[in-house]
Amino acid sequence: MRRLSRGVAVSLLALVLAVPAIAGQAWAQAKPDLTIALSSFSTETLDPALGGHLVKYYLSMMFDYLVGTTLDGQPSKDGGIATRWENSPDYKRWTFYLRKGVKFHNGDDVTSEDVKFSIMRNIGPRSTTGYAGPLRTLIQTIETPAPDRVVIVTKDPTLIIPTYLSRSLSTEGMVLPKKYIEQVGDDVFARKPVGSGPYKFVEQVTGSHIKLTAVDNHWRIGTPKYKNMIFRLVPEETTRLALLRRGDVDVADVSRERVKELEKESFPVHFRREESILTMWWILGPDGLPAPMKDKRVREAMNLAIDRAEVAQSVFAGKADPAAVPLGLSWSFKDIGFKVTPEMAYPYDPARAKKLLADAGFAAGFPLDVYAYQLPGLPEGKTFAEAVSGYWEKVGIKIKLVPVDYPAFRKNWVDRKTPGSVGYFNIANRDWIGTYALLEKMAYTPAKANDTVNDPEVDGMIAQVMRQTDKEKINTLMRNIYTRIRSEHSGMPIVYLHSAYATGKKLGKWNTGSVMYDLFFDELASGK
Amino acid sequence: MIRFVLSRLLQSLVALAILSVVVFILARATGDPLQLILPMSATPEDYAEARRYLGLDRPYLAQYLSFVGHAVTGDFGMSLRARRPVSELIRERLPNSLSLAAFAMSVSLAIAFPLGVLAAVKKGTGVDRAAQVIAVLGQSLPTFWVAIVLVEFVAGRLQWLPAAGNEGFSSYILPGFTLGWFVVAGMMRLLRSAMLEVLDSEYVKLARVKGVVEGKVVWVHALKNALIPVITFAGIYFAILVTTAIVVETVFAWPGIGRLAYEGISSRDFPVIQAVVLTTAAIVAVVNLGVDCLYAVIDPRIRYAR
Amino acid sequence: MPGDTPGGGLVLAEVAAPTAPASRSRNVPYVSLGIITVFVLLAVLAPLLGLADPFNQSLRNRFKPPVWEEGGSWTHPLGTDRLGRDMLSRIVWGSRVSLAAGVLTVLVASAFGAAVGLVAGYYGGQVDTALMRMTDATMSFPVILLALILAVTVGPSFTNVVVAIAVILWARYARVIRGQVLTLMHLDFIAQARLAGAGAWRIITRHLFPNTLNTLVVLVTLQIGYVIIVEASLSFLGAGIPPPTPAWGSMIAEGREFVTSAWWVSMFPGLAILLVVLAFNLLGDWLRDTFDPKLRQL
Repeated sequence: MRRLSRGVAVSLLALVLAVPAIAGQAWAQAKPDLTIALSSFSTETLDPALGGHLVKYYLSMMFDYLVGTTLDGQPSKDGGIATRWENSPDYKRWTFYLRKGVKFHNGDDVTSEDVKFSIMRNIGPRSTTGYAGPLRTLIQTIETPAPDRVVIVTKDPTLIIPTYLSRSLSTEGMVLPKKYIEQVGDDVFARKPVGSGPYKFVEQVTGSHIKLTAVDNHWRIGTPKYKNMIFRLVPEETTRLALLRRGDVDVADVSRERVKELEKESFPVHFRREESILTMWWILGPDGLPAPMKDKRVREAMNLAIDRAEVAQSVFAGKADPAAVPLGLSWSFKDIGFKVTPEMAYPYDPARAKKLLADAGFAAGFPLDVYAYQLPGLPEGKTFAEAVSGYWEKVGIKIKLVPVDYPAFRKNWVDRKTPGSVGYFNIANRDWIGTYALLEKMAYTPAKANDTVNDPEVDGMIAQVMRQTDKEKINTLMRNIYTRIRSEHSGMPIVYLHSAYATGKKLGKWNTGSVMYDLFFDELASGK
Repeated sequence: MIRFVLSRLLQSLVALAILSVVVFILARATGDPLQLILPMSATPEDYAEARRYLGLDRPYLAQYLSFVGHAVTGDFGMSLRARRPVSELIRERLPNSLSLAAFAMSVSLAIAFPLGVLAAVKKGTGVDRAAQVIAVLGQSLPTFWVAIVLVEFVAGRLQWLPAAGNEGFSSYILPGFTLGWFVVAGMMRLLRSAMLEVLDSEYVKLARVKGVVEGKVVWVHALKNALIPVITFAGIYFAILVTTAIVVETVFAWPGIGRLAYEGISSRDFPVIQAVVLTTAAIVAVVNLGVDCLYAVIDPRIRYAR
Repeated sequence: MPGDTPGGGLVLAEVAAPTAPASRSRNVPYVSLGIITVFVLLAVLAPLLGLADPFNQSLRNRFKPPVWEEGGSWTHPLGTDRLGRDMLSRIVWGSRVSLAAGVLTVLVASAFGAAVGLVAGYYGGQVDTALMRMTDATMSFPVILLALILAVTVGPSFTNVVVAIAVILWARYARVIRGQVLTLMHLDFIAQARLAGAGAWRIITRHLFPNTLNTLVVLVTLQIGYVIIVEASLSFLGAGIPPPTPAWGSMIAEGREFVTSAWWVSMFPGLAILLVVLAFNLLGDWLRDTFDPKLRQL
């Protein structure tokens, strides 16, 4: 009697588990959808004005930019609402000619009024995008002489307008529907966004997913191959990979350490080479760098003490290359003509490091706090911090590891509460204009909070770039800035990180491109 | 009885009020959310403006009163990170936690029941000991570890079940099982000792004397009486499942309120932190109250102190 | 994560005279005692055992497998972790941290909780109500969230883990002890003590507390395992005992990405936790069965 009841219980349980398993298998096979699993959505917002870098991944499918970009980050006349643009001789008036016949998802036409409205909104007081500040200082007024023409008038001559409003940087250039937003208000727009991109918004469950559905016959990619595009937020790596293995998702970002196991199972893995530079710096004090890092020899020593090749091989599973220039965003190097010579590369020389420290008076070492935290795109963050600390310990520096989360580190960094302590970031690689924008924040003393360099010579050069319109002069200045930063050891470049994106086996060709924070799903989904 | 319920309600409200002050202070102690919201290039003027816009420049007392005043009507303010009403976020995600907890509860009961009864009936034998060990195992392994192992092997390698997502019923199985696993131990042990107690009682002895079939004695008469404490504890466990599922929600990418709280803390999002803590406290309070009442009603033999 | 062992939210204690309990004491759990002793010894003697330095990292030697696998060697009998540190050494040194965390937290929580419970049960009335409502409020704050908030505010540390858990755990002791005390208060010997002129302090310390000791011991034993597991979950979320300190929970959390490729990194600390917690739980069960089987809710 009891055996029977026990048997019944067990069989019921087995049944309960088996039925959905079978059903699940069936469901996993028939899919006209493209599902992408990401480890982070940053702010998860649907409103371009509320920024956050990783939001570009999905927003760039919902919205069109004023200026399009090619796969390698150059402004393009094909990918954006503007079919061409020209500048006045004094570089203070930029005229954009708009594509005709583009409609928003709610049927309204895209006109110059929308472009003007969008730009003003995206750099307005409510905006928290990355480049709103500089644009706000630069733009004097925006004129709309015709429904297909926009003129941006700047206070100073400048080259940067088209790029700042393009797909290669952030979200300021996204074109939003003026009538719709004025009708429903910002809050409703943030919940039910309407754009003009090849995919339109269906639903969002915060913490879970964002679902988009294809627009028929879009000028950007024709009729898309995938009926729906679903972005899923899956922070846990094991879960993401399980989803990929089971066929529940088609694309997943993978940590470098687990690429090998996927490659062994014949999953295609796409690499965005040098997607970011992992660079470390010392937090500044109220008067710049404190001792001991005030001394150039100490800075050089700390650089020489690190075995970059070993770090690249072990912590980053070989999916990284040693870096030589602090804040060196290599995707800009070719454009500005900057060459990293072999002499610039830091050798691994702990003996010389010890000697330099002794010369500077620190033969017995000194105490140093190193912050340890993870970042999106850098799951190995804490391990990395520990690893580098190990090298410094070996040359006599007494390290105290301070595990925090990034917001806590950032607070200490910008408040300058703990001068001399070390932090790091995996800065996304970008083109020369984006690079300049970054240097203006992180290598420029007047930028105050975020400065990491504190060098008057560099400040002078950056200030000159701001006012230049001669590209050759700009190139020279930027080359000199980098040369100076490197020769002064104003930071510790570690490695260039290659980021991996694994796909399902049947997905087909996909060039992920080299546009910052954008995986260019246009390519994958294109029906052209 | 009514007086009892009312007085307990009042006391729960007082407890919630205390909690609201505590969480208000704690949330603000976590740091400055503006560091994360505003871009790198923000100037001190931008910070001042944003602070004004978000109401963070008011004196703390004013902020607290505004928080409480709105909270009473169910308005928990706007999430600083998502710029959406917090009550909306909670409304979106609480049902996910509740449904997962309900599923987990059913799974644990389905396992705990037969185990508990059998362990009692076959007390002292190998079955009993095995059941005890199985149960205790449930409390001896960290949940996230069980979750990861399940995801890696059942979902990733064997591919029997989905690791995350909304494929309906099958998505519930792995997270539900993981979440409810430790409850099995408690329930089983409870049922076992309750059954042992009942099986020893006069009532059961009488039934046996009267010639009732042993199976019926166990599964009908004894179980009925042993259920009383079990049911009340099921309620408490349910509340625990809802409020402590953050690890399971993280591993299985389950959009519940545990994960919402975690995101809130990571982004120093005061309104979200406050709202989630108060909501979960309210849930626990309600369940506790219900359980107390249930116990009082069902078994007046049990005396409890006022 | 398991927020509570069974027994969370205790509502009442069954009314029964604390006479000699049914002699249902099973065999003394020698295995459990043995396991606990071994680990305690390991923890105490760790510096004297001649093990490798648990903090010494060597990137070239990362993820070396245990000695019985291909590629393993006796220099690292249980293999190495992500940073090339010796697993055996970290497990042994980790026992110090994990056990210390468990024991310390539980002692602090039980001391404070028992005190509250004794006072509430003895005085009854408004004092009781006020204390119990405070207890309720405390119990409804999720441990993990508190630990996360602390970690984010002052940074993760051993102290934070102990504080975060103890600050909420005490409430459970308070409830249970109070229930016991209420039962005891009805008994003759208390009335007699009062008649004899004993004051509150004397009654609480001399008469009530010793009679709750059994319960406390059971609770404490059962909860040590719980705290060790909570630390593991906190480490998983980034709020536990921070690196580079070896603690079993953080070790499992660090190795969780490599469950198939470098299984030993999380398997061995997981096994350690399993054994220790299992041992404490079984011991606690036996203690409960021996001393007070009426405490079935635990």
